[in-house]
Amino acid sequence: MPFSDENSGYGIFFWKQLKKPNVCAIILTEQTFALWKGWCIDVEKIHKEMTLYEKLEILSDAAKYDVACTSSGVERRGDGTGMGNCSRAGICHSFSADGRCISLLKILFTNECIYDCKYCVNRSSNDVRRASFTPDEVCTLTMEFYRRNYIEGLFLSSGILESPDRTMELLYATLYKLRHVCRFQGYIHVKAIPGADQRLIRLTGFLADRMSVNMELPTAESLRLLAPHKSRKNILAPMRFVQEKAKENRQEVALYRNMPRFVPAGQSTQMIIGATPETDYQILNVAEALYKKFELKRVFYSAFVPVNTDISLPVPAGQGASLLREHRLYQADWLLRFYHFEADELLDEVNPNFNVYLDPKCCWALRHLEMFPVEVNRADYRMLLRVPGIGCKSALRIVKARRLGNLKFEDLKKMGVVLKRALYFVTCGGRMLYPVRMDEDYITRNLLNTAERVPEGADGMTYRQLTLFDDLSWKETGSTTKGKARGKNEADIYLP
Amino acid sequence: MKQIYICHDTITGLYSALYDAWKENRNGEAGIELRGKTQQQLFCEYREVAECETKALAIERLIKRYMGYNTYWDVYHALLSDDPVKGEAVFHMMQEARNLQDSTKIMDHLSDANVAKVFELSRRVSNEAHVYEEFIRFRELENRVLFSEISPKSQVLTCIGDHFADRFPLENWIIYDRTHHVFLVHHAGKQWKLVWGEKLDEQAALKTSESQKEYERLWKGFFESVSIKERENPGLQRSHLPLRYRNQMTEFL
Repeated sequence: MPFSDENSGYGIFFWKQLKKPNVCAIILTEQTFALWKGWCIDVEKIHKEMTLYEKLEILSDAAKYDVACTSSGVERRGDGTGMGNCSRAGICHSFSADGRCISLLKILFTNECIYDCKYCVNRSSNDVRRASFTPDEVCTLTMEFYRRNYIEGLFLSSGILESPDRTMELLYATLYKLRHVCRFQGYIHVKAIPGADQRLIRLTGFLADRMSVNMELPTAESLRLLAPHKSRKNILAPMRFVQEKAKENRQEVALYRNMPRFVPAGQSTQMIIGATPETDYQILNVAEALYKKFELKRVFYSAFVPVNTDISLPVPAGQGASLLREHRLYQADWLLRFYHFEADELLDEVNPNFNVYLDPKCCWALRHLEMFPVEVNRADYRMLLRVPGIGCKSALRIVKARRLGNLKFEDLKKMGVVLKRALYFVTCGGRMLYPVRMDEDYITRNLLNTAERVPEGADGMTYRQLTLFDDLSWKETGSTTKGKARGKNEADIYLP
Repeated sequence: MKQIYICHDTITGLYSALYDAWKENRNGEAGIELRGKTQQQLFCEYREVAECETKALAIERLIKRYMGYNTYWDVYHALLSDDPVKGEAVFHMMQEARNLQDSTKIMDHLSDANVAKVFELSRRVSNEAHVYEEFIRFRELENRVLFSEISPKSQVLTCIGDHFADRFPLENWIIYDRTHHVFLVHHAGKQWKLVWGEKLDEQAALKTSESQKEYERLWKGFFESVSIKERENPGLQRSHLPLRYRNQMTEFL
């Protein structure tokens, strides 16, 4: 590849430009791409001739373990000279068989990698088919898929080819071509390669909408264990760099309107859950620190899927358990970002893991019954947000609607409040929907009955059908069947 | 006697009916029903509305001026839905707005049944429009025109026109609404427009270009390989992407 070779013709020019302060883009000409092509053909000879279909299959398969597939965070109208726009909320274009959204064309540039991370399919010691795209191929794929409304943009990651610097150059050249030659104005998410030259990362940032560096594992200790070539410092350095540059850029943009935007949709990261023995409390604290100190837009959690067998990797008990754990972490993540919760409120040293049966917000509410029930017509917005069953939108609707008239439970239902959860925690005009005992066990028992129904005893019936398995020695066996009738003591098992 | 206005299920028709109802009966009872979907009731007087653009523009101005721009969009979306009582709900909502000190806040007054109805309809239509922004699939015809067909419940074409015109300004594309038999046509570099009353040439719509098949194959391959087998969850997929959209999506054909 011509750029990183500081002695070859274009390399001298490239590095001279790169060393200038505050350079926002280095123009790549057709001539450069021609040089490129020659280099790519050399590489291809090694892999024999591979069709585009095969390459796409290999390189999308290799990229699928990356979770981040969002196209949100930036609003941009097309300028009429090319193709594409972005919408702030993001647009999903399809949903794959695992139920995850397909928003971006998620591919690796290459799956050749010099690193040997133990959890990764593309680790250098794995014998998998290797392939590399050329910038041309990535551009045609993106443009043609985008034209047919298959995708919202490009997600470009890469294995480490030869060196981090060289890989980052490849990504830069691809994005440059996409933005300036194809005039693509849709969404681009690109990986910052840890260890790459900061100037290269900066140049790439001006072409991308979102950048991400993967944390991979929550603690430095597990990183050392499973990803021996990566270090915490190496990962956090580019993250901090992107944060600082984005901050600078915001000021520049305020001053000069036409200044190119640097990573306008912010940065994100992801952590693998369940490969190492961290608790939910540790993970959530790491996430909170990332949001507060690094101003990340999103932290993604990815339940560990064993693709390699390695002595230092755990043997997972079952996929279901770690998927549920991932789900609870996402729920807590939303509580941190939109509901003004703190990590310490949700978990602590004594109860370091989330409840399997109840979502984090319900758990919190059950531990703080002294604050409930709240009066819907009077409680402030922040308090409404803390009620299980009331989300951001419905809380806002409540606050607006109650200025114009008293709210009743029917109105709440129409506004989108989930009454089957909220009814234990709110009053309308001083009354609850049903006579409810403010008792932790009682509410837990009713919340665990997933089907929507009248709480026990509300219809005047104070007795219930005795079954053979009711209340008997549940605690000893620790069984967790979801029976219809639940004993009172049973709740103790579930609650932290 | 209660006056019921009968109109076509178009924005102009409904606005004209609202105009007449507002002019004659704004202090009393009135109903608005759609032609071909009326249910005969006792003690009512039925009248067909003379539909015209002037009436529609007048009521549009009235809503924008007194109830605000945001309310106008909610009303507009609600009137595009497939619910037969939409006209009446909007009419009663307009009556309710007069009782408020600040009529522009009418959409916040969700404890009123009619406002809640308009709110629900508006949300339903704009959600469906958003879904079609996501799930529309274009195919390239022999003359490089991008063609897509959809069968939505509400008349969403006008809601998605701006989005695609901004996205593909230099392309020629057509979206065909199979339920309402309307085309949304965009010429490269121009504004989009609606075309009523034309018939779709089914044969021509099936003649795709050479490269189209290759990209369809690539897309299907990508769609398969990007899914993680260990996490397969068809229920989740179905709740995000209901089956009724799938018969027009490339990856499920």
